[in-house]
Amino acid sequence: MSIVLNKLKSWEGFLSLILISVILVNSLNSESFLSIDNQVNLFELSIEKIIVALIMVFIILNAEIDLSVASMMGLSACTLGLMVESGIPMIPALVLCLVIGAMGGAFNGYWITVFKLPSLVVTLAMLIGFRGLARVLVEDRSIRVFPSWFESLGQQPILGPIPLSIIIFLGLLILALIILQFTGFGRYVYFIGINQNVALYSGINVSRVKMILFTASGIISALAGILFAARLGAVRGDMGLSFELDIITMVLLGGVSIFGGSGSIYGVILSILIVLYLRNGMSLSNITGHVQTGVIGVLLILSVLIPNLKKMIQDFWNQRRKQMQ
Amino acid sequence: MNNLLRKLRPERLRELVLLLLILVVLIFFSTVIEYYLNARLFNRVSTSVAIMGVLAIGQTLVILTRNIDLSVGSMVGFTAYFVGQHLSQNNEITPLVAIFMAIGIGALMGSFNGFLVAFCRIPAIIVTLGTMALYRTLLVEYSDAQTVLTVNLPKWLLDLPRVNVLSYERLNLRLMVAGMFIVVILFQLILRNTSFGRKLYAVGSNPEAAKNSGFPNQKIIFAAFVLCGALAGLTGFMFLARFGNITVVAGSGLELKSVAAVVVGGVNIFGGSGSIFGAVLGAVMIDLLENSLIRWLQISEFWRDAMLGMLILTSVATDSVIMKRFRNYRLKKLSQTNS
Amino acid sequence: MTLKTSNQPVLEVLNISKRFDMTQALEDVSLKMYPGEIHALVGENGAGKSTLIKILTGLQQADQGELRLSGTPVKISNSQEAQAYGIAAIYQEPLLFPDLDVAENIFISHQDQGFFVRWDKMYKEAEKILNDLGVRIDVHNSASGLTLAAQQAVEIAKAISLDVRVLIMDEPTASLSDHEVKQLFRTARQLKQEKNVALLFISHRLEEVFEIADRITVLRDGKHISTRPLSTVTKESLVREMVGREVDQFYATRKTREVGKRICSVKNLSKVSTFSNISFELHEGEILGFAGLVGSRRTDVGMAMFGINPADSGSIELEDKIVKINSPQTAKKLGIAYMTEDRHQLGLAMPMSVTSNITLPSLSRYLSRFGVIKREKEKKTANEFKNRLQIKTPSLEQEVGKLSGGNQQKVMFSKWLNTQPKIIILDEPTRGIDVGAKAEVHAMIQELAENGLSIICISSDLPEVLAMSDRILIMREGRQMGILASREATQESVMSLAMGQKMGLS
Repeated sequence: MSIVLNKLKSWEGFLSLILISVILVNSLNSESFLSIDNQVNLFELSIEKIIVALIMVFIILNAEIDLSVASMMGLSACTLGLMVESGIPMIPALVLCLVIGAMGGAFNGYWITVFKLPSLVVTLAMLIGFRGLARVLVEDRSIRVFPSWFESLGQQPILGPIPLSIIIFLGLLILALIILQFTGFGRYVYFIGINQNVALYSGINVSRVKMILFTASGIISALAGILFAARLGAVRGDMGLSFELDIITMVLLGGVSIFGGSGSIYGVILSILIVLYLRNGMSLSNITGHVQTGVIGVLLILSVLIPNLKKMIQDFWNQRRKQMQ
Repeated sequence: MNNLLRKLRPERLRELVLLLLILVVLIFFSTVIEYYLNARLFNRVSTSVAIMGVLAIGQTLVILTRNIDLSVGSMVGFTAYFVGQHLSQNNEITPLVAIFMAIGIGALMGSFNGFLVAFCRIPAIIVTLGTMALYRTLLVEYSDAQTVLTVNLPKWLLDLPRVNVLSYERLNLRLMVAGMFIVVILFQLILRNTSFGRKLYAVGSNPEAAKNSGFPNQKIIFAAFVLCGALAGLTGFMFLARFGNITVVAGSGLELKSVAAVVVGGVNIFGGSGSIFGAVLGAVMIDLLENSLIRWLQISEFWRDAMLGMLILTSVATDSVIMKRFRNYRLKKLSQTNS
Repeated sequence: MTLKTSNQPVLEVLNISKRFDMTQALEDVSLKMYPGEIHALVGENGAGKSTLIKILTGLQQADQGELRLSGTPVKISNSQEAQAYGIAAIYQEPLLFPDLDVAENIFISHQDQGFFVRWDKMYKEAEKILNDLGVRIDVHNSASGLTLAAQQAVEIAKAISLDVRVLIMDEPTASLSDHEVKQLFRTARQLKQEKNVALLFISHRLEEVFEIADRITVLRDGKHISTRPLSTVTKESLVREMVGREVDQFYATRKTREVGKRICSVKNLSKVSTFSNISFELHEGEILGFAGLVGSRRTDVGMAMFGINPADSGSIELEDKIVKINSPQTAKKLGIAYMTEDRHQLGLAMPMSVTSNITLPSLSRYLSRFGVIKREKEKKTANEFKNRLQIKTPSLEQEVGKLSGGNQQKVMFSKWLNTQPKIIILDEPTRGIDVGAKAEVHAMIQELAENGLSIICISSDLPEVLAMSDRILIMREGRQMGILASREATQESVMSLAMGQKMGLS
């Protein structure tokens, strides 16, 4: 019994409670909530975000941040559209997209590891920069040139009702889990996040780890952009605007500390479900996208506010107890 | 030489270099663009700098304390809409009341940010990322997706951007620009000559030492956010005057531009150093480049953002490398004469 | 003009006690400080000195006892109150605002400044204070980049501007050069004589204590042992009181050891503005001590050999092959290990487990083909070290941060020994650990040398260096002053080299 209570006290326990409440409210609100169709659909709709959230976990654990992911998403989608429009066959175009993602990520990594600039500033600059490049390529237009097999990529059920995009997500999820919890690289990520200097003085190649993470972030964002383009069937210069809000919320709500060094994928799985179900529930209640975004914004703040309040209360009680001794 | 070195604090040098670079840009473009250096350029750039400048001042205050405010764009949009809508419904509201309304709303939103950052100890990046979305949502809900239309706004407001304080030939010193100058000078004085201003620098320079010296760190940070919000509100008012039509996406993206202006202007992203003048010069540089590059290479306006990103990177990189070298050089030279 | 030392103490510490969880940091400690007098406070690490300072400056509150200022009982609840009472402290690491001017740093904590800042007045007054102190710093400079000595001078100026009555100096000379120490002492004497300030001078350096103090208090294990005027003490009597037993018993006697073949040869290793022309040879099974005052840049040489801040010129040869050590990864591959002196910030990741800390630098040995960590193998290694070094921990998964200082040090040792190095550089290996653990560490180091490991032991503890090393390399301000065979060396000969006096022809 006390084990259960202990688990509940933990952040994952807290999230589980919230998740259950959200599921309850949603199912009461709308009968179609629990249907397979709806479930598959709501995952599809946010597939880009949840894929990027996986790599964002690594980055935030490493005590860094990548604000440019959504813009890279847009950039890769737009380059894909432009390439296809210019007649480049799909497969090479897709590969090229991922390469561009890698280059963008490496670009970020370069300024962060060589010039030692803070990742906040570098990725903020590239949030603007990549978005700008996307707009340069596509301007005001919306490009619709994709072959139909591509467009149905995301929706076509492959494994039972589950489409390819969700399978990709699940695959990446398992990969992320294994790497983070079971491999040496994952442990390096944690150590660097806890204290970069200790890692350095222990002979870990911190720059290489960071470079790998940011390059991976670029590749995954590019992949997400491809899936996004497939889902919409078209690309525009402003697609993916403000996606970073949802992505960062999913990671922080999942218990990953913004300061790095603590948190795990298990919590993030729960928080992804919470964010997706919340959005879905709001959509089913006809709440507009803008309001949904506002709610996510509040959720982001709460995900850091609540642990802080808890700590402040704990410290306060500890002080009182000490004084009374 | 040493006297010069002594007077030349690193921040002053940075401002001078920026000023020089602006001149270089002007000279360069005047050689490749016909009819470049004229009154129209001055009028156009100065008007948009007026808006960005005021916003950049607010962002500077926050960044000096080692924080950041990404919600200013949404704050500008909301205050512009709020004031615009009230003016549409009630043309009798006087300019002064309208301005105070804008500043007040902005200060309120800023204080919410400040409360979460300073007293709830949530990192500024998280808070303002969240309020950026929240305030935008507030705007959408409040406006019910209706636009503020120019036709409904009082004439004095619509004429405001064209009111001149001084006029020389075709060179116009607009009222709004003069207003910005007043705000700039006011805040430069506050930062340099009041103990509040100095405490702002202290908190960003070394928060631990500040606490040890008895400073109310949290209150100071809170004040910075409130002032930033108030200035964002003022910007919203100017925004309204300039554009008239306010949609639900008004002000979107301004937060990034304000950070860019501040960073280009030499304010240290880690807090503790930089000046208002620098931030305004940064806004000038960015605006100048935007306006000029378009006309020169016929580069589509869409390059603007890509260029902005690179500007931020190069400014911060240069600052971290060169400023450090200059600081060390200067100190070495000065301490040699003293020992 | 000397003012007579008044008979009224300006600050009285009466029967102060303070407990932290399990440790009694201070027990019934009393002392008196008189104006115009320099009162030295000596004691080993953990004797209670820093706790006492924290109580006097308001950062901590005593559990029992009383503080009196000029006879009146006072309560000092925070640093502002201490400041208001005229009590100020300067530490080894001054806390200044790097982006603000020196003048502003000096006056920054004045509460009565009013709304507007008067720059002219500030610059003028700052200059006056610094001139009075005999220190030449340009008050228009920003405080960043000032040397440590200059920063301390600014801190003292700050205290003076607040009309300090009691100035506490906590190990102020630790990172100062000879010349700077003299300057500091001049300033201290000036404060004592001209401003009648009462100074509390805490230092490990007995020579300095004897040079500057009027009265000396010894603390040991949180208790007050003695307070005597300078004329009635000798170094030996002080050490005896500090340690509680005769000095010789203190360190494990060095067993004679056979030293093997040459394994490493360093020639003219230099780094601009840091150290120059360091040359030495290292043999298998040899312990080479690096002695010198703090600030002699021994750590920088160690870091250069480990690739963290590589040298600019000179050469390092390992087994007769010249190597370039540009990164810690290279150093590890070459069999060099470096154990840092700062285990909290650089040595261990406190929230992580004992096991993961131990295996961190050598993690690649524990990975399977796909990079998965072999946990069983890890546990086995950690267990081996736990037994071998007698690490006291409830479990191997325990957070390292929860262990005692001595055990944390042992975990750090394990971590580096696990990399199977040929050469290990130890930086202050017994800093901050209690006497019993120190002896254990010494025995361990001897044993490692006997098993063929080459050890460079950087230590500021002179008796320790003498007792343990086969040879001693002495550094001063980045320069190599000489290498002595330890059976020929004495504390005096090492110290005089460390302080700059060249050896006679030999």
